[in-house]
Amino acid sequence: MKDKNFEIVSIAQDTGGARDAGPWITAAKPEYTVLIDTKHLVTRLYNMVNVPTAVWINEEGRIVRPNEVAYVDNRFTSLHRLEAAPYLDALRDWLAKGEESVFAMSEKELKAQMAEQNTDWALAAAEFGLAEYLYRKGEQVASIKHYKEAQRLNPDNWNYKRQAWALSDAERDYGTSFQKEVQKLGGKPYYAPRKLPETKKP
Amino acid sequence: MSKPILTFCALLICMMAAVISQASEPVRRTIIYDGIVTEVASAPTSLRASKAADLWVNLNDLKRATGFEVKPKGVCRDELCFPIPRARQRTFLDKRGSVTWFNLMEFARLVLQPVAYDMEQAVWFFGPRADEQNGYIATLEAPDFTLPDMNGKMHSLSDFRGKKVLLLTWASW
Repeated sequence: MKDKNFEIVSIAQDTGGARDAGPWITAAKPEYTVLIDTKHLVTRLYNMVNVPTAVWINEEGRIVRPNEVAYVDNRFTSLHRLEAAPYLDALRDWLAKGEESVFAMSEKELKAQMAEQNTDWALAAAEFGLAEYLYRKGEQVASIKHYKEAQRLNPDNWNYKRQAWALSDAERDYGTSFQKEVQKLGGKPYYAPRKLPETKKP
Repeated sequence: MSKPILTFCALLICMMAAVISQASEPVRRTIIYDGIVTEVASAPTSLRASKAADLWVNLNDLKRATGFEVKPKGVCRDELCFPIPRARQRTFLDKRGSVTWFNLMEFARLVLQPVAYDMEQAVWFFGPRADEQNGYIATLEAPDFTLPDMNGKMHSLSDFRGKKVLLLTWASW
């Protein structure tokens, strides 16, 4: 999807930084901008709860499509059963038509979808930040208590869970694992479903 | 007992008390504010008695750790000022000897700022105020950030003004 007026900014939400995210970046040989966010800053700024999550931003730096699950290829389709093609078509439509695209949301639609951080989520983000600080300092045992508190305060945030589990022996320290938690949902997806509007056929 | 011996005993008790109080004090306290880590001096025990989790910092450390200063019109950083409610003055400020202490937890409650803390590690983590965190929903302006690429080169979202951007987060885990 090469276009001189378009940029993909891909950001790894990885406490382990280049140690963890690096091999993926090297393997993908990306022709776009790939950044490493060891403090999960983007997750906090945009109130994200999952990966992959995408936001569309226009030429003026304004959001035109907020947080949504975004698979841009079919590597993990067996897991989440979402084909990338409709999403890529939507993206192409926006690149061609800009604000006229049905996929670019109106201010009213955007504000209806974008939730303010409530006090529990705000505290969850602070607990997660504290856990990250302690983990980086080598205080792994102390960090677990605060990762758990973040997970308790914002149970819908899968980033808090999956990142914490990945830094630990999840079974030993949290009594669970990603596979187990997904199984518990009994087929329901662990992310908010994608809601792309139908395109009007000409 | 003679006077010199009494004096000696009194001195010994003082020294022991000093040693004991030092041993029960955490050597340092750590504040993370706007993502910046600062070590600050510990307040006198008597100040901390009411609420253990309250974090009293001296005005010098307040400036170092947060950029805020106590002024007649309120607690200020550049143009930003938060007046201290008159009825709550004493929960914010306490003068002990020549040092004035400021209750940073009480300030966080006033300005709607989340705080996570760990007493054993003596670390307090301050998140952004609610207005800082949620302001972008009113303007719809994409929050800016600056992060490194694999080679350590820094990039800001705002570098891409004039282009459409697909902001895409992922993770290795």
